[in-house]
Amino acid sequence: MPTSASSAIPKPSSDLIARLTVADAAVNLKALRDIKNQIIGNRTKKLSFIKLGVVPHVAAILSSTSDPNILVQSAAVLGSFTCGVDAGVSAVLDAGAFPRLLRLLAHPDPKVVDAGARSLRMIYQSKLAPKHDFLQQENTKFLLSLLNSQNENVTGLGASIIVHSCETIAEQKALHDGGVLEKLIDLLDGSLSQRDASLESIATIFKNNVEAIARFMQPGREDCLNYIIELLKDRNPKTRLLACVCLIVIRNSSPCYFQDIGIKMKLIHSLLELLDSPDQVGDEAPFVFSTLIAEKEELQKLAFEANAIDKLYNHLQKDQLSPRRFQGMLLAFSHLCSKLESCRSRFLSLQVMNIVIDAIKHESSDIRIAACTCLRSVSRSIKNLSAGYFMNEAVVLPIVRLLHDPCNDVQLAALGAISNIVVEFSTKRSIFIGCGGVKELVRLSKSMDLEIRLNALWALRNLMFLTNIMCKEAIFMELTASLLASLVCDPEPSIQEHAMALVRNLIDGCEDSIEYVFAEDAIVLNTIGQQLQNISTDEIGVQGMYVLCNVASGNEFHKEGVMKQLFPRGDDVTRSFVVKFLQSDNSQLRIAVIWAIINLTLPSSPRALDRVTKLRNAGIVSQIKNMVNDPCLDVKLRVRTVLGQLIAFGDGITL
Amino acid sequence: MPVRVESSTPSLISGADPKQTTPQACTLLSVGQAFSGTQNVSNNQKDEAWRVNVRIQGLDLEHGYLCGTMEALNVPMADTPVVTFWEGEIVDGKNYNFFTGKWQAAPEEDIRHWTKFPSFAPLMNQVEVDGGKSLDLSNYPCIFMRWKEQYFVNVGTDCGLTIAGFYYVCFSCSDGSINGFYYDPNSSPFQKLELKSTNEGRSGFSFSSYELQ
Repeated sequence: MPTSASSAIPKPSSDLIARLTVADAAVNLKALRDIKNQIIGNRTKKLSFIKLGVVPHVAAILSSTSDPNILVQSAAVLGSFTCGVDAGVSAVLDAGAFPRLLRLLAHPDPKVVDAGARSLRMIYQSKLAPKHDFLQQENTKFLLSLLNSQNENVTGLGASIIVHSCETIAEQKALHDGGVLEKLIDLLDGSLSQRDASLESIATIFKNNVEAIARFMQPGREDCLNYIIELLKDRNPKTRLLACVCLIVIRNSSPCYFQDIGIKMKLIHSLLELLDSPDQVGDEAPFVFSTLIAEKEELQKLAFEANAIDKLYNHLQKDQLSPRRFQGMLLAFSHLCSKLESCRSRFLSLQVMNIVIDAIKHESSDIRIAACTCLRSVSRSIKNLSAGYFMNEAVVLPIVRLLHDPCNDVQLAALGAISNIVVEFSTKRSIFIGCGGVKELVRLSKSMDLEIRLNALWALRNLMFLTNIMCKEAIFMELTASLLASLVCDPEPSIQEHAMALVRNLIDGCEDSIEYVFAEDAIVLNTIGQQLQNISTDEIGVQGMYVLCNVASGNEFHKEGVMKQLFPRGDDVTRSFVVKFLQSDNSQLRIAVIWAIINLTLPSSPRALDRVTKLRNAGIVSQIKNMVNDPCLDVKLRVRTVLGQLIAFGDGITL
Repeated sequence: MPVRVESSTPSLISGADPKQTTPQACTLLSVGQAFSGTQNVSNNQKDEAWRVNVRIQGLDLEHGYLCGTMEALNVPMADTPVVTFWEGEIVDGKNYNFFTGKWQAAPEEDIRHWTKFPSFAPLMNQVEVDGGKSLDLSNYPCIFMRWKEQYFVNVGTDCGLTIAGFYYVCFSCSDGSINGFYYDPNSSPFQKLELKSTNEGRSGFSFSSYELQ
């Protein structure tokens, strides 16, 4: 007869609690053993017992008894509650059992010490475990006493405390100076668990700690380093993974080490092999692989040559990947495809995109983020953007939907991918506009969250690149001149920059599009002009000047509109920001200004002479004359263009 | 006041710093910029030139890469303009040198084409030695490239046209003009591509940009 799932799980009886509270040691011991046997490896039962309030009773027994057997059993039960269950860790900590477990470490009976250490190690697997302050000397001493223990679980506990608590350089230094690193190196010769714990702790002390690594890598210490490198071939997968972690931490913190290709290839091959591990090691391997190759083109190339894309893909095709492993693999793909077109090309040829598209819709937010990150990397391929590879409903619809995701980080990751896929050179942008993508981007460009606002604007800027007038109209209608103007003067400089870049793209192409900046009494153009009077970053100046340049490539009315921005006080032409920009150290800013001047002084323009006169009176022409030997070739050549044009106005210039 | 613009001559790289060999950005060769002109496709039987439009879509100086589209307008056997996507190698001495080393182009063929560009002459001696690896072209007023068409954008591969060859290209930073020669052992030799920077009907130059994340 079928039964419901809930009735299949027996609830802990209140009789059990009665047996824990009765003043009979034998009954207590039996009850503890019963609990231990029932909850071991059974998350559901653990949660059920925690809910029933069993943990405080066990903690009470632990604090009230001196019977070694009961101490061992109660510590084991508490440890079991915390194993893999954060609610259990909370319950144990709330019951005040943590200091009692710590006291067990000083117990004369080795079995009690071992039980206490085991339980504490489990607690330290959780982020909820209390932090040790290593800046207090007695804590470091305590740690050393643990590491000096003959008991494996006690030394393992010491290592767990380091991994959990050591976060800052100051803490790393305190441990290093206190002799902890030396002790950890000794433990590399210990048992399997001591060695693994030691590797993980060493990596923790080395992370971003250039000084400690430099001391470790001094001549005379080669044996230890070589030993860690040898561990890449260890039989135990976890040891191999931790050896990789340790070596990658050294490499990433101090890139001057491990320059030879041999060790890099060893790391790549080791990590790719570890993907075969069915357990947690295999789950973590792609994350560690990502830390190895992130932002490092050379390593990405080596990984590609080691067939990493194909190997990851083969694993992705396996059934029942754990969510953690799936996330890690997507992130590994995203790092592999972040710089090299060869990787992207292989990725796309294997049809991994189908898996990524499904992952965009995954129930786990971590996987949705990883899928978006992967899509962002792959869509850096101009070749495939140009082919319209990403602008199709299968990609666009789910990713636009993520702009409504309840998780902020998912929205942000989706915006990153969208920013790339909207750089599109065919006519398929209408797919994005048609599914409400612009509406969503405009909505998010008003977000209070800076990152969301910036990335939404970034996507709009890219969407506007080389788009046709119909798409521009649709986007501008949604954006409105007033919103654009408010983004141009947003308090955040990066927003100002992207808003101006967006306007620059808006008015590029068909000359009619210049009219957008004159809409609503030229609110956009006037705001940009005002912002240019006092820029907070050069990049804002560059984008703003290109807006003026593009406006100045229009008709006489447009060119005069630019002159009004350059000289807002009419005939009072002194103190123009143009001279300041021309004197800037930033060649990008200088060239943007020069282009605007070129457009304003085209000899074929009817009112060009008036403008040249004004530019001359403002000292701009003489400044340009000073730039004939500009160190930037592009600026130098364009200065020559300006001066060539000025000859037509009888400026007395000869080239 | 007389003004003299210094002429740029290529120099040899003094140190081992590869960064200095990267060409400086030239705004006329930036993303979004358009060019128009002709490609001479004459052969023994007839004189013929196709009108050509080019648009730069991507540029990565660090990797010596650029790409874009090329539109041939009056192709006799095509009903519509034929658009192709091409990828370019910028000869910077770091990522690429003057020797092609592929696409059926032997060094002698390379030299025969490059020497057709007058601005190549000052580089000739060094290129013969090492392909130009040791030349510092970062301040040279011309950018030498190879453009290789990768696929047809708007027609099928059965359109009767071929993109098997590639172009030797010289871009002038001074005026934004582009000259090129198409090379395909199976096509007429030295088909000349001549393009000028275009402002698409505007009274001046306009620039757009995008930034990938």
